[in-house]
Amino acid sequence: MTEFLFSIFEHFGDPRKRVFLGYIILAIGVAFFWLVKIKGLSIRESIFYIFDKRILLSESSRSDFKLFLLNRVFLMFVSPLLISQLAIATVIYYSLHASKWLHVGMWNESSQFIVISIFTIFVFILDDFTKFIVHRWMHKWPMLWSLHKVHHSATTLTPLTIYRTHPLEGVIFILRSSLTQGLSISTFVFMFGDKVDLYTVLGVNVFIFCFNVAGSNLRHSHIGIRYWPWLEYIIISPAQHQLHHSIAEKHYDKNFGVTLALWDWLFGSLIHSEDTEDLTLGVVDECDWSPHSLKKLYLYPFLEIFNILKMKVNNVFEIVSRKVKNKRQEM
Amino acid sequence: MKKTTLTFVSVCALFSAGLTHIGYSETFSEAFAKAKAAGLAEFSYNGNLYTTQTAEEAAKLTYGPFPITLKGYSGSKTNSVSYTGQIARHVLHDSLKKLAAKGSKDDMMSYYNGSDLNLAIVAPKSKDGFPVKQTTLNDISKGKNLSGKTYKGTMNAWPGQMTGKEALEFMINKAATVKGGVDTSTGYNYPQLISKFAMGAVFYNQAVDNYLDEKLSADNKPNSKPYKDGAYYTGKEHSWDEAFGYWGAAAHAMKLSPKENYEITKMKNLKAADANGDGVVDLKSEMQFAHAYYASSFDKGGKTNYLHTVTRAFIDGRQVITSANGNDLTDSQRDKLYELAETIGSNWEKVIAESVFKYAGSVYKDINKLKELLDSNSDTTEAFATYAKHWGELKGFSMALQAGKKNLGETAAYMNREIGFGPVLLNTSQVVGINSNGDYIKDESVSLDVYQMNMLKVQKLMIDKFKVEARSNDQTGKMAALADKLGDSDSAEND
Repeated sequence: MTEFLFSIFEHFGDPRKRVFLGYIILAIGVAFFWLVKIKGLSIRESIFYIFDKRILLSESSRSDFKLFLLNRVFLMFVSPLLISQLAIATVIYYSLHASKWLHVGMWNESSQFIVISIFTIFVFILDDFTKFIVHRWMHKWPMLWSLHKVHHSATTLTPLTIYRTHPLEGVIFILRSSLTQGLSISTFVFMFGDKVDLYTVLGVNVFIFCFNVAGSNLRHSHIGIRYWPWLEYIIISPAQHQLHHSIAEKHYDKNFGVTLALWDWLFGSLIHSEDTEDLTLGVVDECDWSPHSLKKLYLYPFLEIFNILKMKVNNVFEIVSRKVKNKRQEM
Repeated sequence: MKKTTLTFVSVCALFSAGLTHIGYSETFSEAFAKAKAAGLAEFSYNGNLYTTQTAEEAAKLTYGPFPITLKGYSGSKTNSVSYTGQIARHVLHDSLKKLAAKGSKDDMMSYYNGSDLNLAIVAPKSKDGFPVKQTTLNDISKGKNLSGKTYKGTMNAWPGQMTGKEALEFMINKAATVKGGVDTSTGYNYPQLISKFAMGAVFYNQAVDNYLDEKLSADNKPNSKPYKDGAYYTGKEHSWDEAFGYWGAAAHAMKLSPKENYEITKMKNLKAADANGDGVVDLKSEMQFAHAYYASSFDKGGKTNYLHTVTRAFIDGRQVITSANGNDLTDSQRDKLYELAETIGSNWEKVIAESVFKYAGSVYKDINKLKELLDSNSDTTEAFATYAKHWGELKGFSMALQAGKKNLGETAAYMNREIGFGPVLLNTSQVVGINSNGDYIKDESVSLDVYQMNMLKVQKLMIDKFKVEARSNDQTGKMAALADKLGDSDSAEND
């Protein structure tokens, strides 16, 4: 039983996870610096600002925590059933053997430093890009948006909001991760052989580590840290991500990126940060179920998806019957 | 009020978990000391079973001498251990392997079938710094052969629908027809094929399918009677000894590290081999042969402990039999033996599977080399010879794996299909069968690239079906290591 509890909470002790306690403490440090040095608040004011219980203990935040617990248990049972990155890597690795222009170890003479550097950068960039693109789909495709809306229904943001995710969406994210890792591992090992490795700090890709140390947890918080405009073209600032959660129409479908802002810039969905003090967060919908109830968060997406599918079927039916009617009239 | 309590509990839980898994309830040494004090032989810790025997205690164990327990024995013998017949067969096998590269069918056959003459030992023979006590087969045991003990079930891995025995004889005949025992037109290296297959078809099969199987049952070779009329050992004592003899470990293997055991077979470490300090190596108890050697070669990598696990199980089992003191075994004693036989059989099988794994990796690497040479239009003679040698070892071990107690079924079918009847040759052809004259038939095969992929599949099969752990020449292990490093991909969070 204690083992089970440990495994539910293990993310807080795992430097590979955003919510690792070390990162959270550093994020609090970054928030202090921002409030005291840049915003000119006193230390006492800053403490009250950061640990604002209207935010940390809001109904929205409490439902984040419930989702965190339930999703952890759910995924503990489901994730072993999903295809692993190693299984994908193995299949790709096998099939590379049949390729005409690639052969095993074709570049295994390269220097180790270069191979590891390239792999570390490649994995980071591919991971960040696929997260961006999947996130974009989650917004653009109505059925996926029904799922992703669960995350956006948060009306206050805390680091735990990353777990405010519909379990089906969680499954999609796991598959994305397996696929990108499987692809990177297999192609690199195939071409560079045993030299492939990852530069890590505390067992984490060095880039991810830097990102997390620099206060990545503040993306989901009420601390609206903004970067210099030029930097916001490259890296997404916490305030930029908070705009992504805004209910205002001008902020719709902007800033999908996780670490890099480059993708948004490239796809035309980038906006720079602004003062986030008066942002209203959340989503607009017509459902009158209590917005932070588990029923709303888990079941409503299914209802919406069902309605979308029903509409699609109706459309097809209508088109067909119209055609049949036209045919009859012609006759 | 209720909500505040809930929040408080949650925050505490978060914190305690966040501080990670510091400290277990009981350390390993505490659990060990407790079990030892209670006089237990084994104890469980974190879900695994451990023995309370300390390393020093285990290291004192040797296979024999064990006292005479046979009721009514009045002779002068004091040690009931005897497995010289098995040692003789190890020597016949080592000698046969040497002769297979020499081309004389008569010579090979006399070691395979045994001889009324006192045959000279061809291998292992004394060399500088490693003197061997015996020089002829009769110094060890008279009248032994390999042919009478070779696996008689069908061997589907070899073309021609032969039994294991027929396949081995077929190989011996073919070896005599090609220079150095190597047929470059088919890629068959007969000394390797014969040796690696014979170890399975004779030693492994006899031990796990005979002595540790039917000869353990109550009515077969009972412990209350001599093994045969006039013997000084009981039925069960000798059955167990014979199985140990086939395993091939030195009697004092537990006292040595895997590396030292390995060096005995390599004839490089006289000090390790010479247990009684008489300056010569007694093949009857001080030498290490066959699969025990392969076990030591894997174990010295530090990931596995096959040699000591199997040897230890043999010693434990022999102690159980000795403790019966010449009476029929009780049910619980027999159950213990079956349990130990299971340990022996499964680890022995893993040693052979590790060998299949290793040589599949070698073949994979050899093909890389061959492709490089073909691309640059260089001479492939030498690289092809290495490829054929490793393929012979791969094939031989894969056939040995199929000569055990259980039918491997689908696993065998899959493995045989991936490896094929012969290695893929440079003109993408391969032996596919044998015609009525006993000549090989070749046909178009998969490409070398696809054949390389087959080798990866064989390695994966050994991991999936036999749980091999030493994994020498692992061609995909790097991917598993990287996958591990990148972390389990359960990032189900909305970043």
